[in-house]
Amino acid sequence: MASSTLTPAAGAPEQTAVRASEPNPRRRKSPREGGHWKWFALPAVLLVAIFFALPFVLNAGFAFSDWSGYSEEIGFNGIDNFRTLIDQEIFWPAVRTTLLYAVLVLVFQMAVSLPLALALEDTNRLNTVYRSLFFVPVLISPLAAGYIWKGMLAGNGPINGLLSFFLPGTVDTAWLGDPTTALPAVALIEAWKWSGLITLVYIAGLKSIPKELLEAATIDGANAWTRFWKIKLRMLAPALTFNVAVTLAVALMAYDVVAATTAGGPGDTTTVLNVAMRLQWGQSFFGPASALSLTVATLVVITAVPLVMWLRKKEVN
Amino acid sequence: MRWMLRAIVAIALLVAAAFTVTACGSSDDSSDTNSTAGSVATVDTEPTGAKPGTKITLWHNSADPPALRQLYRDFEADTGIELETVANPSAGFEDTTLTRWASGSRPDVLEYHPTVTNLLALNPRANLRDLSGEAYIAKSGDLYRSAATVDGATYGAVIGFPQVFGMFYNKTVFERAGVEPPQNAAELVAACEAILARAPGVTPIAESGGSQWPVQVLPTLLMGDANPDNTWGQELRANRAHLDDDGSPFTRAMETYKQLKDDGCFNRDAASATVENSVRGLVEGKVAMVALHSDMIPAMVAAAGGDAARVDREIGFFAIGGEAAAATYIPSPIGSYYLPRTGDGDREAAALEFIRYVTDRGYGRYIEAARAFPVIEGTPEPAGISALAREVKAAYDRGPANIAYAADVPGVGGVMVLINKLLIGEVEPAEISEQTQKSIEQAAKAAKLEGW
Repeated sequence: MASSTLTPAAGAPEQTAVRASEPNPRRRKSPREGGHWKWFALPAVLLVAIFFALPFVLNAGFAFSDWSGYSEEIGFNGIDNFRTLIDQEIFWPAVRTTLLYAVLVLVFQMAVSLPLALALEDTNRLNTVYRSLFFVPVLISPLAAGYIWKGMLAGNGPINGLLSFFLPGTVDTAWLGDPTTALPAVALIEAWKWSGLITLVYIAGLKSIPKELLEAATIDGANAWTRFWKIKLRMLAPALTFNVAVTLAVALMAYDVVAATTAGGPGDTTTVLNVAMRLQWGQSFFGPASALSLTVATLVVITAVPLVMWLRKKEVN
Repeated sequence: MRWMLRAIVAIALLVAAAFTVTACGSSDDSSDTNSTAGSVATVDTEPTGAKPGTKITLWHNSADPPALRQLYRDFEADTGIELETVANPSAGFEDTTLTRWASGSRPDVLEYHPTVTNLLALNPRANLRDLSGEAYIAKSGDLYRSAATVDGATYGAVIGFPQVFGMFYNKTVFERAGVEPPQNAAELVAACEAILARAPGVTPIAESGGSQWPVQVLPTLLMGDANPDNTWGQELRANRAHLDDDGSPFTRAMETYKQLKDDGCFNRDAASATVENSVRGLVEGKVAMVALHSDMIPAMVAAAGGDAARVDREIGFFAIGGEAAAATYIPSPIGSYYLPRTGDGDREAAALEFIRYVTDRGYGRYIEAARAFPVIEGTPEPAGISALAREVKAAYDRGPANIAYAADVPGVGGVMVLINKLLIGEVEPAEISEQTQKSIEQAAKAAKLEGW
């Protein structure tokens, strides 16, 4: 579902931006020309059906079953799994943590990526080097990134060493071990990991803005801020849609970075839904694990889809 | 559009059918081999009929020591059976093993926890071969009264010495603070106070929430003396006693644990520190005590740069309980094996040959190479066992030595997360008891245990 919604923006933010200014009927008509479009859609439909829709439906079934490692039989047990998870104070804290984590990642990423994209917008040799550098974290395995940051953020790690150098006294906060800083710290790592990609998408969006438009605005007396606010930001809408959707989906489904850095701790302060699911699974409670998994999928659908639809509507306007 | 819908429905049906076939396949396999397993249990002295050249798979713990890996190679050389080893990482060992297991995948030999708690999660009656009557069981004392056995049927073979839990302490720090090894909760609290006062800069007890499992050890010790002959564990399993009962040893242990935390006995980063840090601190004298098990002695030697003599000199061991000292133990997951039912006669024969080899012909050589204490009669104790390991064994032999309550009670896997929450002040001892009791109920009902 997510991938089908994202593909057009992901593949060609530039084209989408240009299309937004074209008359609607033409855009809707062109794919139907020739009648072969069904064949082109087939691979995507099959992939989504086999690897998304079907597992989703099958997993949904297990969420309402008493499947566990303790017994061969699997029977329907209604909403017992959800009730057990709520009763054991696992469900709502995990949902809360997951949503908070997603918001934090989104905020951190937007705060870093957009200014970075504006700074690296011009294509020259230096900027190309920087763009590549900022893209490197995207290529690193999330687990490796998590382990590296775990070392960096340790009480006696290099980050605290650096802070102690500049600040009075000794900084020895265990950033990932303190309940107040653990979640923001992990969210920062997740944001760092993906900000290179998000920045590139913004740069592509910025590049697609017609120069004439900016020149005309300059001649009309618009200053840099007005040009950014009135033109660039509005024309970036398709890129923004893509970035928000991808960030939210990634953050709501977060597992690897959290597993590598805090494994859900301290206590359960970073226990996002997927980490809670893994804990249930590890205890052979597969029914409750499926219930948590269904919750993740549902959260992604009910937050990302309306948001994307709303943002796309904004694009047209 | 209609043809596309039909195609999707057809694919959905095909995949659903595949799922059904797989599910049936696995249950059919187990019922087919029921008879094989039954005969295995009664004809223990008959040759296995294993054929050289047969290829079998062993899922093992990545923490298996070199001596155990050598035992696997010795088995291949001795029998001509090919043993393919697949490692499950020791960090998250239970998760990984159970995830693989849940997918329906089965090895011919499985190295896993011999505790009843963990055995139940494998659904032994349906999935494992009954090894009752095999020769090694009678030669292992009363080990199988509490290990690898459910409802009178023994499903596993244990060749490793139990993990003995207790306090490892730095002798120099104790001497400096003028502290004697405490025997119970009250003395531990007093010892902590004395260390804080007389050995400034030293952490009285190092906790390592970052490694998760170690935080369970100290509370387990503090309730260890409440489980003589596993009576409390049996009561909990049968739903006759509960962790949240008034004055339960579980709640009392958690209260002491909280008091120690509030008194400042733990390291400041207790919730995130790793066990490697704790062990290094202990060896270097920056930490007075760490609650761990005997299989962590090699990690202490590693922290001392491989200097085993230094560890023997610096580190001591004592048993402790809530009211009175008791050595708490759990049968070791390292060197404990089960035979999953696979339905393949040749491979099942070869897997049984593996069990017979490691418990008999290959055992003496393994014990010698591992410098470990033997658990099967007829094998002499090897020379060269470290002084610290001997100290642990002496505490275990001296007794009382009680199996940990958790060994027999299913559903207690989540307790470490709760203890971690206690470390950061998110829960109270009574809440940990309530939540864990609910989890036990969930597992006991799933396992259809008597009394639930």
